[in-house]
Amino acid sequence: MKLSEIASIAGLSLQVSLLATVLIAVPAIAVGYVLSRVRFRGRTLLRTFVSLPMVLPPVAVGFLLLTLFSKNTALGEGLAVLLGGSFLLTWKAAVIAASVMAFPLAVLGAERGFDVVPLRQEQVAASLGATPVRVFREITLPLARGGILHGLAFAFVRALGEFGATVLVAGNVPGRTQTLSMAIFTRIEDFRDREAMVLSLLAIVFALAVTGAAEWVLRRPGRSA
Amino acid sequence: MNRFDLKASYPGFTLSATASWEVSCAALFGASGAGKSSIVEALIGLRPEVQGPVRLAGVSMDGLAPSERRLGWVPQEAALFEHLSVRDNIFFTAASEAGRRAATEAIEALEIEPLLGRSTRELSGGECSRVAIARALASEPRMLLMDEPLASIDRPLRSRVVPFLSRLAREKAVPQLIVTHDPIEVLSLAEVVFVLERGQIVQAGDPQEVFASAASFGSLSALGAENRFAVKVKGRGSGTWIVETSGGQRLSMVRVKGFPEPKEVAIRSEDVILMSSHPEGVSAQNVFSATVQSLEPIGAQVLVSLARSAAGDETWRVKVTLAAVGSLELAPGRQVVLLIKAHSVHAM
Repeated sequence: MKLSEIASIAGLSLQVSLLATVLIAVPAIAVGYVLSRVRFRGRTLLRTFVSLPMVLPPVAVGFLLLTLFSKNTALGEGLAVLLGGSFLLTWKAAVIAASVMAFPLAVLGAERGFDVVPLRQEQVAASLGATPVRVFREITLPLARGGILHGLAFAFVRALGEFGATVLVAGNVPGRTQTLSMAIFTRIEDFRDREAMVLSLLAIVFALAVTGAAEWVLRRPGRSA
Repeated sequence: MNRFDLKASYPGFTLSATASWEVSCAALFGASGAGKSSIVEALIGLRPEVQGPVRLAGVSMDGLAPSERRLGWVPQEAALFEHLSVRDNIFFTAASEAGRRAATEAIEALEIEPLLGRSTRELSGGECSRVAIARALASEPRMLLMDEPLASIDRPLRSRVVPFLSRLAREKAVPQLIVTHDPIEVLSLAEVVFVLERGQIVQAGDPQEVFASAASFGSLSALGAENRFAVKVKGRGSGTWIVETSGGQRLSMVRVKGFPEPKEVAIRSEDVILMSSHPEGVSAQNVFSATVQSLEPIGAQVLVSLARSAAGDETWRVKVTLAAVGSLELAPGRQVVLLIKAHSVHAM
């Protein structure tokens, strides 16, 4: 296996995972905040719905996405018009699949982050004259960042390892949609175990690097030190 | 003009508190569970379920969001923003020049300068309280709302913080409402006290007069007592219990028929007499020696902290006049004798 081939696979995987993480960050933080702070009927239902991709077989999620984005649906047709052609079987589809599969982890991390923010500090900030937006931006969000960052780090790693849903919507086209997981799978199928091992080790390095970076960001002395 | 008339119903607890005052520093005094926190949170605007008009520093708070009320809240736990440095906490809302000036003055008066660069996680309880006061002042509040502001500030520093807060109230026109169960805080800072019991204000007036009259009835007397000790009953005398504190001091107290064995006792600092040597032929049932640890002026009186001779970790607080300090030559290290009538030892 050439180095350029490894770089291409790794580059595409990182691109897909990073974009998926960026794409879900804001919605996941918003849903995590709602689940943590807002009491409403249907909260449990929302949490269950958000968690579905975690408990469903990835292939089933992939099939649902395939059905949803096919040209037979209004959504698929609209997207095709918008993007100038169907985005199925492209790297963009891999981003969508990875986003859907990683979303629950990002939400749960954010929810946990907001759960541990001391309410008193937010109340005091408000009493000192801070508007709700400022309280959220300068008190709530920084105090919840531990959970949020952990959630996003795990979401990134989940996106990096995504296979079942991605293979259905993006296919397994070398150089175009073949991410690390699919490249490993293909090489195992072809009895190219050494190459599969190299790519597996690369996946481990990426996962360790991301979770380690998240830990480092959380532990490094902030403005308070 | 300040006034509130608050009403709310909770399971097993009804809040119905009305108060009005015009002095620069008022205190809301009551035991835990009396409803102090509910009132403070309602004044801040955090309890929508509490109904009734609120007017503080001449401004109606009705319908205003907490951020619009401009009340400098200093909660008991300080609630410093843990991700910000001490400096960033204090200047969090110091947007105007006046706010920054108020913050700088508070930093100097409350001796916070050496702490500015530190993380709030490194601060002691007393340091947190001081930073929280400075942070509240930097927001240019209409009124300071402080929950037990002196509780964790050590005694030597307290004697410097109290004049600063008094000066703020009187000279800088920053009115204050303090909430506390500590009569020392009330006597040190407030010009009027509202006594809160089970969600209702049962007494109001000049703190000296309120606490003096309170001595005539048990529950409030015990509530305001500076000396509180866990005890075990060691025996019965003629109409008395003989109890022993966890520090080993035996006390005789009046036994009331039908009342259970006391587990905690409270003795007001005014009810303890100090003598230079052991007396002879006195009616007081409780006579024991102790060593003066510190003296703290409170208005025209002095609060003396003493360690009992036999068990150094049990601190007694006795309020005496300035004249008594002179005649008894009270100073740290001086050994004196404490006299307490059995009637002055209240069961909690």
